[in-house]
Amino acid sequence: MLNIVRVTLKGIFRDRVFHGILAVAVVFLAIPSVSTLSMRQVTELSITLALSLESFILLLLAVFLGGTSLWKDIERRYTFSVLSLPITRSRYLFGRFLGIALFLILTAAVLGAGALVAVKVVSSGYPPDRPVAWGAIMAAVGFDALKYVFLVAFAVLFSSLSTSFFLPVFGTIAIFLVGGATQQVYDYVHSAAARTMAPLVRQVATLLYYLLPNFSSFDLKVNAIYAVPLDYHGLALTVGYCVIYTSLLLVAAAAIFGRREMK
Amino acid sequence: MNMDNSPAIAIENLSKTYKGKKRAQVEALKGMSLTVDQGEIFGFLGPNGAGKSTTIKCLVGLIQPTSGSARIKGIPVTQVESRRSMGYLPENPAFYDYLSAEEYLTFVGRTYRMSADQLTTRCREVLRQLELWDARKRPMRGYSKGMVQRVGLAQTLIHDPDVYILDEPMSGLDPIGRALVKEIIIDLKRRGKSVFFSTHITDDVEKVCDQVGVIVQGTLVAVDRVETILRSGVEGYQVHLRTPAGEPAAVIAGITPDRSNGPLAEYAVPCARFNAFMEAVNAAGADVALVETKRRDLEDFFLSLVHDHSPHR
Repeated sequence: MLNIVRVTLKGIFRDRVFHGILAVAVVFLAIPSVSTLSMRQVTELSITLALSLESFILLLLAVFLGGTSLWKDIERRYTFSVLSLPITRSRYLFGRFLGIALFLILTAAVLGAGALVAVKVVSSGYPPDRPVAWGAIMAAVGFDALKYVFLVAFAVLFSSLSTSFFLPVFGTIAIFLVGGATQQVYDYVHSAAARTMAPLVRQVATLLYYLLPNFSSFDLKVNAIYAVPLDYHGLALTVGYCVIYTSLLLVAAAAIFGRREMK
Repeated sequence: MNMDNSPAIAIENLSKTYKGKKRAQVEALKGMSLTVDQGEIFGFLGPNGAGKSTTIKCLVGLIQPTSGSARIKGIPVTQVESRRSMGYLPENPAFYDYLSAEEYLTFVGRTYRMSADQLTTRCREVLRQLELWDARKRPMRGYSKGMVQRVGLAQTLIHDPDVYILDEPMSGLDPIGRALVKEIIIDLKRRGKSVFFSTHITDDVEKVCDQVGVIVQGTLVAVDRVETILRSGVEGYQVHLRTPAGEPAAVIAGITPDRSNGPLAEYAVPCARFNAFMEAVNAAGADVALVETKRRDLEDFFLSLVHDHSPHR
């Protein structure tokens, strides 16, 4: 499987699309000057911008690498030669996933370092009222990376099902949007404002809340920006949730891909 | 089971039905059975769409048969282990084009658990053998079709397996490349390896194969030894005799010459009358310039089978 991970990483590093996406990271250089547009919360704005930019780049990478990696292998007939080697399909699939996941984590680390530098530059010039919570910023970057690794598992599942890139790419984008809204929808349907809602609709919304991914618990931006202490118990639960959900997605993807005919 | 005594490839009652659009079903393979012994070169002939690639994809685990079974050296093809002693060249192969040939072969070698030393040595050997040494560091996206085909062959050779499954190995190659592939196949035979290769070019089969199987419309319609087919296909002889200058070509043993070409006269002699004809030639003291065997070649054999089993005949 390490062999597949290695080849996957080589493929990503040599991909022009990846180079283009990473070029967006140049925008980090503009953060210090853009942050000064805020009159009072210069450092807070720099943290917001840095984390948002890092998150946006990781989203692009997760969608395009996750959604196209497997599809490209099938479309370009690479699978004919690779899957006829003594490698099980599940190992191939997990290797592909791990390669992309590892790359996302590496990219998050590099972009996170860029974010820290940008925030450091800004906070030196415009000291904030509260001390900068460096640990919370790093945690925000880490959990963002975890969220996108989770998203890649969905992309891999969709790729194992689909013969085109539409489902993997647009399905992954849809999951990203839905996963960011599930908690808000759940909170709404169980609030006083939704008292008049039909019970069936509420039950369906609750069921979907448990079935669909919930990305809100991965979002630590507020903790990072306003130095709100981290809830370690909650973070441990989020990691466990991510590991279990991702594993289930990959097992399902492997089962589907194992039966797929390479015509 | 003693794997060493097992046939290189054993296929039993293999069938494959594809589900088409609107629930239509296409029977790509219909109860095919065949055996390829160790050390044998087996040519798998068939027109386009006959089921050659489907058979091969079943053998290498890319598709699952609807029924029946297949084994490589005694190991069911459903097990990944069956691919350890096998090298496979897909039809029109494509490889990770961002890798160089050397990187790709290293990747392949690692999946066969070759040691680093072994890999270095074998990489060098096969890259030189397939004339890819100078291009070994370049990404494969810049390779010509023939070069990619040769990388495909290199990946089948890298771990020196006992069984080779080659899907149209000569396609996309120029005459020099084709000659190289034939040479490699003959060399494999010399080393006791088994080769199962599909083609629709009968000449390739005639030159390198021990045995040939013909598949038409998903059914294996014939399996025979190449030399048996060639021997059974002898229809007669073309005998060229020198005639004395100025004399017309004579009728010999009741056979009139087909044509006269200067001092040479040509006689088409059926097998059954060949001995009597030659005795008459000797008795007449005629000078024999050339005797050619007139026979149906493999192409005629193949075409007649395809014609006989075609639903539109």
